[in-house]
Amino acid sequence: MPNKWRQALRNPLALSGFIIIFGILLLAILAPFIAPYDANAIDVKAILLPPSLQHPMGTDGLGRDVFSRMLFGARISLLVGIVAVGIATSIGIFLGAISGYYRGWVDVVIMRLVDVMLSIPTFFLILAVIAFLTPSIWNIMIVIGLTSWMGVTRLVRAEFLSLRGREFVMASETLGARDFRMIFIHMLPNSLTPIMVSFVLGVASAVLVESGLSFLGLGVQAPQASWGNILTDGKEYIQFAWWLSLFPGVAILLTVLGYNLLGEGLRDVLDPRANNTR
Amino acid sequence: MERPLLLKYLSLRMGTLLSLGLLLTACSKEPGGNAADFDQSYPPSSGGTLIDATAGEPSGLIPMIAGEAAASAVASNIFNSLLKYDKNLELQGELAQSWSVSPDQKTITFKLKPGLKWADGKPLTSADVLFTWKLVTDDNTRTPYGSDYKLVIRAETPDVATFRVSYANPYAPALDSWAGLQILPEHLLKGQDINTTSFRFKPVGSHYYKLEEWKPGERISLVRNPNSTQGPPRIDRLVSRFIPDPAAQFLELLADNIDSMTLNPIQYSRIVPSREDLQKKLALYKELGNNYTYLGFNLKHKPFDDIRVRQAINYAIDKQELIDGVLLGLGEPVSSPYKPGTRWTNPDLSPYPYDPNKAIALMKEAGYTGRDKEGYLLRNGKRLSFDILTNQNKQREMSAVLVQRRLKEIGIDANIRVMEWASFIGRFIKTGDFDVVLLGWGLSLDPDQYSIWHSSQQAPGQFNFIGYNNPRVDKLLEQGRLELNPDKRMKIYHEFASILLADSPIVYLYAGYGLPAIHKRVKGIDNPAPPAGIGYNSYDWYIPPPLRRNEISQ
Repeated sequence: MPNKWRQALRNPLALSGFIIIFGILLLAILAPFIAPYDANAIDVKAILLPPSLQHPMGTDGLGRDVFSRMLFGARISLLVGIVAVGIATSIGIFLGAISGYYRGWVDVVIMRLVDVMLSIPTFFLILAVIAFLTPSIWNIMIVIGLTSWMGVTRLVRAEFLSLRGREFVMASETLGARDFRMIFIHMLPNSLTPIMVSFVLGVASAVLVESGLSFLGLGVQAPQASWGNILTDGKEYIQFAWWLSLFPGVAILLTVLGYNLLGEGLRDVLDPRANNTR
Repeated sequence: MERPLLLKYLSLRMGTLLSLGLLLTACSKEPGGNAADFDQSYPPSSGGTLIDATAGEPSGLIPMIAGEAAASAVASNIFNSLLKYDKNLELQGELAQSWSVSPDQKTITFKLKPGLKWADGKPLTSADVLFTWKLVTDDNTRTPYGSDYKLVIRAETPDVATFRVSYANPYAPALDSWAGLQILPEHLLKGQDINTTSFRFKPVGSHYYKLEEWKPGERISLVRNPNSTQGPPRIDRLVSRFIPDPAAQFLELLADNIDSMTLNPIQYSRIVPSREDLQKKLALYKELGNNYTYLGFNLKHKPFDDIRVRQAINYAIDKQELIDGVLLGLGEPVSSPYKPGTRWTNPDLSPYPYDPNKAIALMKEAGYTGRDKEGYLLRNGKRLSFDILTNQNKQREMSAVLVQRRLKEIGIDANIRVMEWASFIGRFIKTGDFDVVLLGWGLSLDPDQYSIWHSSQQAPGQFNFIGYNNPRVDKLLEQGRLELNPDKRMKIYHEFASILLADSPIVYLYAGYGLPAIHKRVKGIDNPAPPAGIGYNSYDWYIPPPLRRNEISQ
């Protein structure tokens, strides 16, 4: 694995993605130390100021410092992305593993369930569910998690189906290993590669979904900052206060781009077939 | 691979060229071009089209059934009432030439103007008025406006030009109510179900304009009614486009595709003044606000039944900060539930000043003596913690953020919950399942606010959803309805307002100004706006021929 990491960092795609994500993570973690102002500090005398030395990204409709809000917004966006995809991936691994391992009617039931879930446009499903719940950052993570596990399930199932026929699996089956051991000790570690790639790519889309929800007012609630709701605040003034739309827009773009580059790069490096040809 | 790409490129280029060409022609067609000076004055003339935007599409154009602002905005140009308000908010005849109140103050007799006609040429008589009264009081008519008219115990038409109503007791808001009832034609509606009739999509009225065309999802256009009971208006055609998003409305205003809209404070005091091209073509007006924003407590929930807690919260909120921050100074503080500056507003009252120390002292009296590690006030070891509910309205959301911060400063833990309107009303207001709401009340012209504050009006769906109950206020509200002498009536409502302020069942936050922007091609608008707002003489507005836009071809 360490070897592969080094290899990954030599891949320009993965490296650039990694740098972007690492940078944003760093800013998010260090937000309280970097932010020049309290993200929720209101100053009615400084409403909608353009970017300046005092306010590097200007101020919003309540005179709050956009730069500080962007930093704290980064925490929300990344947290939602990672936790939501964590939930989705866990569900996906579990269902995919039992589906691919046991096959038969278990597999049929789970795969039809996946088909049903995939036939519903995810964003509208999320909108419908959120409408019944209190919008809060925790509910959003859970709802995104519960509605985006289908891809991972299919991936893991496919891996398991192909692993079932491999010699080492058959060997341990012959030795009388239990199902639990078979799944978690032998098969799962061997299917981690696609899971990692899909995790990283999944975070990108979860960040987008969170921004979308916040933009529609169904996500993170005021006064908490998130990139999505900074963007909504800016929508009305887009011709006049461009900084309210530009900075969160660029931040969302960079984050999604970063995760996608990292994911693609990882796939190139970690894919065993690609590796063998070298 | 090469060829398709090239083709694609070429077609793209063609596309850009084509659209550029279109743009150029569009520009050259701009009315008057750059030479037009919209500030120049012109003599009044007839003709032209005024285009405005409404956020919602009406569900129908019978106002008593539709009940929404979008419907009444359009319908008010189609239908007449017996009475109307003039520029100084005094009652004036509209269909009625005169009216008289009997000495016992229980009977009102309206005399209609002679020769009134519907847009289709049929005569408009007192029978139509009687018919409309029967409709609005019929239990099968699904209207929220029936209650005022149900107090009439007898309505009669001694002759075609006379309409007489009698009340069991003197009812002071009666005249105001007859300014609010738009008269419908009996000959077109007789025997039909008013709730479902197709008349709502093809109304026939008696006012300045009649319906020309309704394109669902797009626009309603009205043209001049040749049989108008009020004489001819100057502008030929009124078009209302349905544009739900205010930001999109503003872009349409900038692009010259609509002539008027209501601005928000940022657009009004920052965006328009910062751009010379906009200043050249837009005239900005400032009207007395017709609603106020408040923070309302659920008085049935603890601890909001405690007047000290309510007053403490009132002292903790800085109203001037809200006016400066949310309205950019374009509003006024409120201390009576009436239009600031009108007769019903009690001039001796002033809002609770911002005084956090007094707020903390009051909270202490109410038992909040402790503080936890985060600095929140504690009573019996428990924080005062609640949700401020509001609907998706930018100004209300911003106000909630400011209020929340001030409450946090004295140690009250408030969270903000923003909801879509229908679920807000259905799930929280009608069920009474809320602690604190941030909402607004419209300011009507009659001071009667029985439905909002009387203790009998607390059933689900009624307006006293905060559960206000004060016997003295009940008494005053009942008296105010019986008193027709304006001076005595004024005293009653002044006392009512001062009790309301002291009780603090709601915290008045502010009354924002109405901020209409109208293209300068439209002339004849009063500036500064009179108490009734600029729209009172819209029939007198005109668009000089050189400034008219090209008529939109269908």
